[in-house]
Amino acid sequence: MRERIERIDPRRREVLLGYLLVLPSLLLIGGVILYPLIYNVYLGFTEVPLNPDQSPVWIGLENYETLVNSDRFWEATYNTVVFTVASALLATALGLAVALLFDRAFRGRRLARGLVLLPHVTPIIAVAFAWQFMLDPLWGNLPDFLAWLGIYESDVGLLQSRDHALQMAILFDVWRNFPFAFLLFIARLQAIPQSMYEAATIDGAGRFAQFKDIILPELKGTILIAILLRFVWEFNAFEPVWLLTRNLETLPIYAYKSAFSTYNQGLGAAIAVMLFLFQLVMVAVYMRFVGEDEL
Amino acid sequence: MTVRENVANGFRIVLDGHRRSSLLSRIGFYVATALTLLFSLYPFYVMFITSISTNESLYSRDRGVIPKSFTLEHYEVIFGSGSFPVQTYFWNSLSVALVTSVIALVVSILGAYSFTRLDYPGGTLIRRGIIVVYMLAAITLVIPLFQLLVRFDLVDTKTSLYITYTVKTLPLTLYILWNYFRSIPVEIEEAAFIDGYSRLETIARVIVPVSLPVLVAAFLFSFKIAWNEYLFASVFLQSEALYTLPIGIETLDSAFQNVWGEIMAASIITTLPIIVMFLYLEKYMVEGLTAGAVEG
Repeated sequence: MRERIERIDPRRREVLLGYLLVLPSLLLIGGVILYPLIYNVYLGFTEVPLNPDQSPVWIGLENYETLVNSDRFWEATYNTVVFTVASALLATALGLAVALLFDRAFRGRRLARGLVLLPHVTPIIAVAFAWQFMLDPLWGNLPDFLAWLGIYESDVGLLQSRDHALQMAILFDVWRNFPFAFLLFIARLQAIPQSMYEAATIDGAGRFAQFKDIILPELKGTILIAILLRFVWEFNAFEPVWLLTRNLETLPIYAYKSAFSTYNQGLGAAIAVMLFLFQLVMVAVYMRFVGEDEL
Repeated sequence: MTVRENVANGFRIVLDGHRRSSLLSRIGFYVATALTLLFSLYPFYVMFITSISTNESLYSRDRGVIPKSFTLEHYEVIFGSGSFPVQTYFWNSLSVALVTSVIALVVSILGAYSFTRLDYPGGTLIRRGIIVVYMLAAITLVIPLFQLLVRFDLVDTKTSLYITYTVKTLPLTLYILWNYFRSIPVEIEEAAFIDGYSRLETIARVIVPVSLPVLVAAFLFSFKIAWNEYLFASVFLQSEALYTLPIGIETLDSAFQNVWGEIMAASIITTLPIIVMFLYLEKYMVEGLTAGAVEG
């Protein structure tokens, strides 16, 4: 056996070994991601019986017709779009602001940077409950604080009323994800050579001119990447909303509830297909504007 | 000075170049930094303080930001009583995260090596495909995965989490490792070949030792993803004996009223390992988080 392998010429052996080593990765990703994606498209055209021994029944476009004709779907779409756009833009803006703030030498800089990342890396379940408690109308601190500021005074909890639940979900998501943008920007800012600022100062450029003429052009690409990536992820975000409040329905939550609360898995699959199509479009946009190498 | 002015001041000083700074703008900078940290850390403060506050001070109308008395009773309750089996959840989370990270690491060492060192048709395509796959969200997969797990009779088993979590972390570990492997000089390996090592021996005896710190980082990133995961566990697990921490904490919340002290204590327990881990990971954070912030 060994001899036979050695008789294959080295170039082909290299190719074979290459495929062999990457095979476990491909099998896992193929079996657990690609195949389910395709299967999901099929499920979207079916009604899935509760009994697992029965196979799904083909019903064509019925799930999609149900969705397009329901107010619930359009409301969830509206919520998803507002949530996505607002939290992606705000998280990116705040991340940029904090990156600019921390892009200087000061004592405790490393510690400050590390601490700012905490909201992003800690388990979402833990921080979601901390926010729930902070916002609790009876026991939380934030409602009292807001009442003291005169911004919000009501016995209805901020997470219990529909309008405010959306705002709070955005706030929570910005809190959790601005460090991601911060991290992208701070790495980029540090790559700008000090000499560029010095040259600009000699030329008499003020602070704003420096920002506009040096920092902004250097960061343009990164800003685009940050916003596009957040668009993809925010649009499909499930936990940041679901774990914070049950009074806001976005498309991912609609899909989850359809599939696992009311056991209408076909309908849930149809929503998931739409989410997937959106992701595909966004990935294509990303490739078009950012280029594959930046992936 | 209003908050807005303070923050604006903070930026002005930053934009002011990096040296000259008047006292006033220095103050502005520190105020802006303090506000940033307050915003980032206040929820953690709430989590910690709540976990050590007595119930009387938690559920009274005239509580302040700092409670009057402290206690460890919530920690005793979650570790000592049968109705809050946080210990079980903890061990489940730990075992799932460990198994997942080990498998993901072994598979991705082989895969990443294959991408960086071996040249074969389709290699680049596969590599790019894997990154695109990584941008996909779990919500688009959870329904078909559930159907498949039902068919293979894997619902309500830890195996369902081992498999799905491994694949969830795989693109990230692959990415981190091939980025690093690329920087290892080929000469090191050539020396090993001359000594008569095969490719696989070279991976085990040269590549792995040389990249040990990065392997640890990749391991920890995949540990973090598995440790934090909620969606799959909420769907695939049914019996409480298998619950991981995220699902366990949620169950506590829905099963009891006003157990905030216990929930926050369990949250602290869930958060601590991740914080400790990130002290080590600081160096790799940019790469790992920006490539892998997928659970966003």
